[in-house]
Amino acid sequence: MSSHRLAAILLALCCAARAEDPAPQETIQSDISTREISIQSNFTGIEILIFGSVDFSRTPAPDEGDFDVIAVIRAPDEPIVVRRKEKVAGIWVNGASETFPLVPGFYAVLASHPFRAIATEETLKALDIGYRNLDFAPGGKDDAKEVAFRSAVIRLKQQKNLFQEHDDGVSFIGRSLFRATVDLPVNVPIGRYTANVYLFRDGKLLGTNHSTLEVSKAGFERVIYLLALKRPFLYGLSAVAIAVLVGLLGWMVFRRE
Amino acid sequence: MLQVYLPIAEVSVNLFVMLGLGAAVGFLSGMFGVGGGFLLTPLLMFSGVAAPIAVATGANQIIATSVSGAVAQWRRGNIDLRMANVLIAGGAVGAMIGVVLVRLLRQIGQADLLISLTYVVFLGVIGALMLVESVRAIHKSRSGKPIPARRANTHNWIHGLPLKMRFPTSRLYISAIPPLLIGTVVGLLAAFLGAGGGFIMVPAMIYLLRMPTNIVIGTSMFQIIFVTAIVTLLHATFNHTLDAVLALILAAGGVMGGQFGVRAGLKLKGEQLRLLLALLVLGVAARLLLDLVLKPDDVYSVVPLFVDS
Repeated sequence: MSSHRLAAILLALCCAARAEDPAPQETIQSDISTREISIQSNFTGIEILIFGSVDFSRTPAPDEGDFDVIAVIRAPDEPIVVRRKEKVAGIWVNGASETFPLVPGFYAVLASHPFRAIATEETLKALDIGYRNLDFAPGGKDDAKEVAFRSAVIRLKQQKNLFQEHDDGVSFIGRSLFRATVDLPVNVPIGRYTANVYLFRDGKLLGTNHSTLEVSKAGFERVIYLLALKRPFLYGLSAVAIAVLVGLLGWMVFRRE
Repeated sequence: MLQVYLPIAEVSVNLFVMLGLGAAVGFLSGMFGVGGGFLLTPLLMFSGVAAPIAVATGANQIIATSVSGAVAQWRRGNIDLRMANVLIAGGAVGAMIGVVLVRLLRQIGQADLLISLTYVVFLGVIGALMLVESVRAIHKSRSGKPIPARRANTHNWIHGLPLKMRFPTSRLYISAIPPLLIGTVVGLLAAFLGAGGGFIMVPAMIYLLRMPTNIVIGTSMFQIIFVTAIVTLLHATFNHTLDAVLALILAAGGVMGGQFGVRAGLKLKGEQLRLLLALLVLGVAARLLLDLVLKPDDVYSVVPLFVDS
């Protein structure tokens, strides 16, 4: 979600609070167990913890009713192409394709209850919660083909653990503390991730909290990656030089003369 | 268990499996005296590496094994430098065509398919020819008849072509056009298939150009270093498909395996070796064909949008 949209939601929240419900209400605070993740060549995935609490400090006494928390963790959007194989002369060939310019590289929804029961579909849609409510910004119209391709994106991303929905992903410890863990798989994209945590009670959004997480390549991995993308000729040249050295080394070690 | 995440291929592989793969292909190439690229690239594709990345990385790995071999050949004076230069000139042109072809096919999402299909055709034809030839040779050697030596044509159409050049090491005076064309085909194969193309080049140089066999092997090894170096550079620069980490692992395994392969090869008879290689080549072709014919697990696939840089 863009910072503009977030600002708009926060503004809406403030206005709503001022207009309808002047009584102070609970707010939410949260953080992530780590602010930076470095992907090195031994990276096999990592579990991150999102934790926080429902803050009653502005209320004289906590109201009745259960709190619900939904956390959405997402990586920056990236353009992708989906292709469908078709059988041509006995061989499976890539046929029709569809481009989706804005697909999150990673997307996870964690909730304390099945999230569709927590809030209305309109609220969820406004907050980009749930695969169904993600807009991949397709170019064409919303026809049957696009629907099929969109669900293929979701299915394939789910298989790679890059899309996750966990209806019991957030657990409460007592009434105000909560924690949620999410597994980032080995193939997570790099970039600045956002974690938006929403507090609901009786279907009503009480507050949100926003934090970020930087996922980057580090060490040797980073050098290779940057070299390959930014200085590809130098990268190719080094690969050639290394191969020549390995070859010479092999000849020296094993020569029989 | 030592998992290594490959930065460009974007897959996580086991270090020892990849070292073993490099060593196995190196062993086979040492045993059979072939480059091994035409086996390595399909095997990488079987392990989940996308075809264009397998091709670029395979080409890079060939440099290492060819350097090992070429140094030994150089010391025996088996390299025709003049011929190698002509072949490399043709190879550079072929490499450029191949790299552009891979780039265009990737943009329309057909690179994996066409690389696989080309491999099926090449490996199928070469495997079948080798199978027939080796079975005949085994049959003949069992029945005790001597294998008739191939009668050399003293003159062929090649001698009628213009642009004649003198190649003192090979004791030839022929047109530069056939070696240029052979070089171009080899460059194209290296860039499109990640194979050194020795299986095309060696017979072409022996039977078409009539070069002495010992010079053919040395010269072929020497020129392929430069052609695969050009291919590596072009793929890295224009397609970003080179995975240097994978190439290094494979090269290390390959150089070691190659040495043991040479020793094992000395213990087996030539026609038996060729029969084994023929079966292996046909097996790889069959597996590639099966992957194309069988219904895939998922008919949909997701790839990042190809952005021109």
